[in-house]
Amino acid sequence: MPALGFATGIAPRDRALVVIFLRGGADGLTLVAPVADDAYHRARPTLRVGERDGVRLDDVFALHPRLAPLIPLWASGELAIIHSVGSEDATRSHFEAQDLMEHAGGAAGGWLGRFLRLRAIGQPGALSSVAFGTELPAALRGAPSATVLRSLGAFSLGDGAQGMLRALGELYAIERNALGRAAGDTVDALQRLERLASAPRPITAADYPRDDFGEALRQTAQLVRARVGLEAATIDLGGWDSHFTQAQLLEPAMDRLARGLAAFRQDLGADMARTTVVVMTEFGRRVAENSALGTDHGRGSVMFALGGGVHGGRVLGGWPGLSPDILEGPGDLPVRTNYRNVLAPILSAMAERSVVARTFPGFALEPVPLLGTGD
Amino acid sequence: MITRRRFVELGSTLAAASALACEDGPPQLASLLSSATDPASPPATDDVDLVSHVAGRLSFGLRPGDHARARSLDPDVERAVERYIDTQLSPDAIDDTAADVRLRRYAELEEVPGALYEYKEQVLLSSLTSAAILRARYSERQLHAVMVDFWTDHFNIDSAKGDCRWLKAADDRDVIRAHALGSFPEMLRASALSPAMLWYLDGRVNRYGAPGDRPNENYARELLELHTLGVHGGYTQRDVMEVARALSGWTVRSRREVVFGLGKVEFHPEWHDDGEKHILGRVLSAGLGSRDLDAVMDLVSLHRSTAQHLATKLCRRFIADDPPATAVDRVATDFVSSRGNIASTLRTLFATPEFARVRRTKLKRPFHFVVSALRATDARTDGGPAVHEMLRRMGQAPYQYPTPDGYADDEASWLGTLLWRWNFAAALAGNRIEGTRVAPAALRSALGGEDGLRAHVLGRRPTTSERDILAAATDSLPLLLACPAFQRY
Repeated sequence: MPALGFATGIAPRDRALVVIFLRGGADGLTLVAPVADDAYHRARPTLRVGERDGVRLDDVFALHPRLAPLIPLWASGELAIIHSVGSEDATRSHFEAQDLMEHAGGAAGGWLGRFLRLRAIGQPGALSSVAFGTELPAALRGAPSATVLRSLGAFSLGDGAQGMLRALGELYAIERNALGRAAGDTVDALQRLERLASAPRPITAADYPRDDFGEALRQTAQLVRARVGLEAATIDLGGWDSHFTQAQLLEPAMDRLARGLAAFRQDLGADMARTTVVVMTEFGRRVAENSALGTDHGRGSVMFALGGGVHGGRVLGGWPGLSPDILEGPGDLPVRTNYRNVLAPILSAMAERSVVARTFPGFALEPVPLLGTGD
Repeated sequence: MITRRRFVELGSTLAAASALACEDGPPQLASLLSSATDPASPPATDDVDLVSHVAGRLSFGLRPGDHARARSLDPDVERAVERYIDTQLSPDAIDDTAADVRLRRYAELEEVPGALYEYKEQVLLSSLTSAAILRARYSERQLHAVMVDFWTDHFNIDSAKGDCRWLKAADDRDVIRAHALGSFPEMLRASALSPAMLWYLDGRVNRYGAPGDRPNENYARELLELHTLGVHGGYTQRDVMEVARALSGWTVRSRREVVFGLGKVEFHPEWHDDGEKHILGRVLSAGLGSRDLDAVMDLVSLHRSTAQHLATKLCRRFIADDPPATAVDRVATDFVSSRGNIASTLRTLFATPEFARVRRTKLKRPFHFVVSALRATDARTDGGPAVHEMLRRMGQAPYQYPTPDGYADDEASWLGTLLWRWNFAAALAGNRIEGTRVAPAALRSALGGEDGLRAHVLGRRPTTSERDILAAATDSLPLLLACPAFQRY
């Protein structure tokens, strides 16, 4: 059965993917807590999400109260959660785990860069992939064109941009060939961006967190709405490495994540149907809390998938429970679902299946039924 | 006690300081401005002349004064061009102090493979990228730099794969730059035994332990398909498997296996399939051991299909995206008769009528465009992160192309990112690139004013319509660098 994305009539080339990486190893057991599991409460006497504190999602899980802005998206079925998810890397090292996850094995390039190059939809545009921040994330290595920026202002041609653009339009119009046509497309895209940058913000504007993360989401939404050929954007959100005083670290981080995503959803409106957001982290954390009111590096965590035909309102992945015989190594939630199997259905809506298979070489995909019942 | 790495750091700090001292003011311009006998007289014809054409194709673009210098090599223009070509084909005879001084700060790139592991991978990639930009920008051995660019794609290695992140620096030095204008068979052999290549195409895990073990074909396939015969070069799947058997047992010491001698390439007889092999219609008898590799190299490096494949790629780089068959045949014939002498092969290419006839038919790839803009404006640059970022936006981050075919050398692949070329042109002319500086007023006056600047950047006088559009602009420099004519060479 084809992915739901095709059924809804949205062409793969019109779709955009937004990858949010929670750097530092986010504690899935706090974000989406198994409050119905007694073992959870025993292992986390201080740090647990109480049965009445969280927002109940189903028989097992409750969302941390700081993630409550996501509840409307959950209720409308646009947000899916995948639990006990992660990669095969068991080093519990930030560097190694992020490296493995972003490269997706020993192949050259990052998984996202490889995917964009393999699917090769038309000519790679100047704005086809954008990384918000100061460095290109390893996942985007090898993309046909990747732009690292902190603000859309980077697109500007500077003072006198309008004059330069007009003159370039005239100079390239003399070229009656592919180069001239490419220049025409470029002038159009630049003008759309200039208009966006100068347009007054509507009064009903979505309430993004006032920080780099919120700004990155706002600008991603602008690029999606301007239809300038954005295929993928990556945004990093740090602050998850909660070895001590976990609550003080995670609560503001969860707050930013949830408010950012809710604002992004509101901002995109109908364009959310052709945009998928995926939230991932390199690993989860030890089930038992440590003596410093924190948790140490573990294995399984959670992922979120939002929009773009995601059939949400469900916690997927197969919850293994927290009994001692289930836990891995020093007492960690095992990885029941490989993160590639969460990415695969999302990518399938953007490209042929053979492309998705080649994006993850040496791995037999078993995609999570994220988009519909039969995918 | 000063550790070795600390010593290298000190050394590179000192080198950086001395290089910076030399960079007070654009050196090229400074000498031009002070010398009345060597005016930077730009081209003065309506069409791209032979000098602009040849110097444009054999280099990363002309600096102020380059046209006049090349033209002055002989009163007869054709002989002047011949002398220019001869000089460029013998890079070792060209003094290259200007580039050497700037490269001294990257002492880590001179380390043996094992010592490269002492550095952070990001540092090595950044240094390697900066060094490539600085060489292309400042080296007088321009054809050598152009061929390094060519072979870097031909023997592409993505520094993101495995230990290539450390070892590519050695490959760049010992394979690509060492042989760029030398002997192709020697370069091919160096590549086959390059620790980075053994990592990139999995040669290091091509091991035969017991009957029934299947060889890892990755390197063998790309050796035949990309490095030598070409995809239609007449080999079969059987040949690929047999080449893989012949090369089994060659490996490289890696972090997970050993502590000492990292990056060392070794032949393990116990992992070598020593049986008889049949490759391209020839029989390699059993028991050759490590000499199987020599036999494979001998079979493929000067094969007629290899000659045809390389001649096609070279003609694509220097003549046209769709290279004329007559030129390809002539170049392929020289490749074989010169036993893969790259300089000789190129000399033949540059002597073809097809090469002499074309003008500005090729679109510069992003690296070429960026460097040519730096050269045209005589920009002072550190070749640093701000320039790396520009290249990545344009889609050509050096040493980061994921698949073994290397960055494409055709126009269509590069038309999508014009926006960033324009952005770069505006940023360069407006001095908004960190670590890079231009002096537009000095540049104009060195070239004899606005008309000279235009002719210099365009390689000819502007057409009437170009002149009208440029005249209406407040600043012509960003437009000249962003205009269609400057995208071609």
